[in-house]
Amino acid sequence: MTSASASASDALVQPAKASNQRTLWRDAARRFSRNRLAMVGLVIVTFFVFLAVFADVLAPHPYDKVYFERVLLFPGEHPAHPMGTDEVGRDYLSRMIYGARTSITVGLAVMAIAVAIGVPIGGIAGYMGGFADWIVSRLVEIMTAFPGILFAILIISVWGGGITKVIMALSITAWIEIARLTRAQLLSLREKEYVESARAIGVTQRGIIMRHLIPNSLTPLLVAISFGIPTAIFAEAGLSFLGIGINDPFASWGKMVGVSNSYVRVYWHLALFPTLAIALLMLGFTFVGDGLRDALDPKMLE
Amino acid sequence: MTRYLLGRLLSLLLVLFVVSVVTFVLMHSVPGGPFDESKGRLPEAARANIMRKYGLDKPIYVQYWNYMKNALRGDFGIPYQQPQTTVTALIAKTWRITLQVGAMTVLLAFGVGISLGLIAAYNQNSWIDSFVTFFAMLGFTVPNFVVALWLILVFAVRLKWLPMGGWSASGDCLVAGRFFCSDWIMPVVAYSLIPMAIIARYTRSSVVDVMRQDYARTARAKGLHERTIMFRHVFRNALIPMVTALGVIIPNLLTGSIFIETVFRINGMGKYFVTSIFNRDYPMIMALFLLVAVLWGVLYLLTDIAYTWIDPRVRLGAKGGNA
Repeated sequence: MTSASASASDALVQPAKASNQRTLWRDAARRFSRNRLAMVGLVIVTFFVFLAVFADVLAPHPYDKVYFERVLLFPGEHPAHPMGTDEVGRDYLSRMIYGARTSITVGLAVMAIAVAIGVPIGGIAGYMGGFADWIVSRLVEIMTAFPGILFAILIISVWGGGITKVIMALSITAWIEIARLTRAQLLSLREKEYVESARAIGVTQRGIIMRHLIPNSLTPLLVAISFGIPTAIFAEAGLSFLGIGINDPFASWGKMVGVSNSYVRVYWHLALFPTLAIALLMLGFTFVGDGLRDALDPKMLE
Repeated sequence: MTRYLLGRLLSLLLVLFVVSVVTFVLMHSVPGGPFDESKGRLPEAARANIMRKYGLDKPIYVQYWNYMKNALRGDFGIPYQQPQTTVTALIAKTWRITLQVGAMTVLLAFGVGISLGLIAAYNQNSWIDSFVTFFAMLGFTVPNFVVALWLILVFAVRLKWLPMGGWSASGDCLVAGRFFCSDWIMPVVAYSLIPMAIIARYTRSSVVDVMRQDYARTARAKGLHERTIMFRHVFRNALIPMVTALGVIIPNLLTGSIFIETVFRINGMGKYFVTSIFNRDYPMIMALFLLVAVLWGVLYLLTDIAYTWIDPRVRLGAKGGNA
């Protein structure tokens, strides 16, 4: 592992020189592409990301356009609405497509904020130790003493819903995990022989951080991010399901499931499509995450 | 050991203090309280009267101090949504149902989860193993309210075998030799899938691990019966790491009931939690959050203690322990 990651860090710093070598990243990409489940996951995730990005072009109707004369149509009942319409007469297919945008946006935004906050704080705690470490450790301890989604519910109940507030509420708990991981990584890396020898031959603090610490803590971080995204998507769906997440008229699969609960006896399509979408997207991300973990950390495989 | 436990207890108290302060401050920073103008205009004098009655006119640290003083005596105030009762009475009325759902869920999750894990470990790398692994991944990934709606669509809407929701708390359907009420089945199954998946996964890896140990090989070399090896040597030792699975399951159980009770319209604490948030019912929200925090902390502490009790090799507080 040591030699492999050392060459990987070289590859990061001088990509041209290492172009013909077997690098950690190239090996990982090969292992990932050979993992059938991971590839299935990648296809699923790509599909939903595609929907999210091109929702404006793909959706046949605006997500908030109400057709008063076409309320609660079943799929196929009207040629303009292949997935039927919802309880106020909006095209369900269009809302499903925009729901993908909501889910993907929340997942990516929450993890982006979590990384932006968690990596520097965890990094400082792990590398500097001392008082900074003590503060961060206590903070982590307190934040993990409470279920993340409950905390999000609490915050949303005070701030009110809406996509920005949902993202902020979920980021407040999501960065903790990233900080904890970064701290643990740096704590163990700091003691590694190659870092010690780098320090001994007089490499600067900055050099050690850029060349050894960051590249080597990247892989576990990547895995954590790939699992953090579906966790955030799950939490958004949960909040919206309870009716305190995304506000009307914006589309969210979780909210669609929550509303469908009152209509499920007759209008089964309202429940079926968003539940399938949530399950598929969650599975897709999990397959990708598992595949990434197996590909990036061959030691885990037996 | 005693010192370690005391330390844990102290940090638990610290966490509870922080949680209570944060919740309290957040609850009181809400724009628009329960007596704001949205539910009809109040004369200024009446408003001031109500504010005085509920102590909302005092500075926030005084309010916090008064609240905690009463809370420690078991008085969490009066819920705004049902002023004729107390928060304590409302929780007392609802916790029994939530506990019933939770207890049945834990039983089912452990029973099926351990069996699945054992079967998978014993048939390692066969199609049964892959099936259990896939089932565990499915159960762990798909949100429980999604599974709940699928169950409703199939068994209540399509097949009409089971009721859509509700919960027979008194168990009056248990007459005539029946073991369960029909409205218990779907909530418990949907609720138990995540813990079941976790338990199956932990059991499998734990049993596989123990089967490779020297003492298991020795037992086999001695010519013991496979079943004896499995139950006397492997399973008993494999149970130990299972305690850590509890640490993963507890948060899922504590938050899962909110969703399950909402889907199936069960009048437990989880559902009151949601209605309290909609009604900005501070006393109820505070009490429920504190309850969850206490439960969470105590359960984790118990898990740690159980760990030493089951496995004498683990020493709490020692260096390298799971502190």
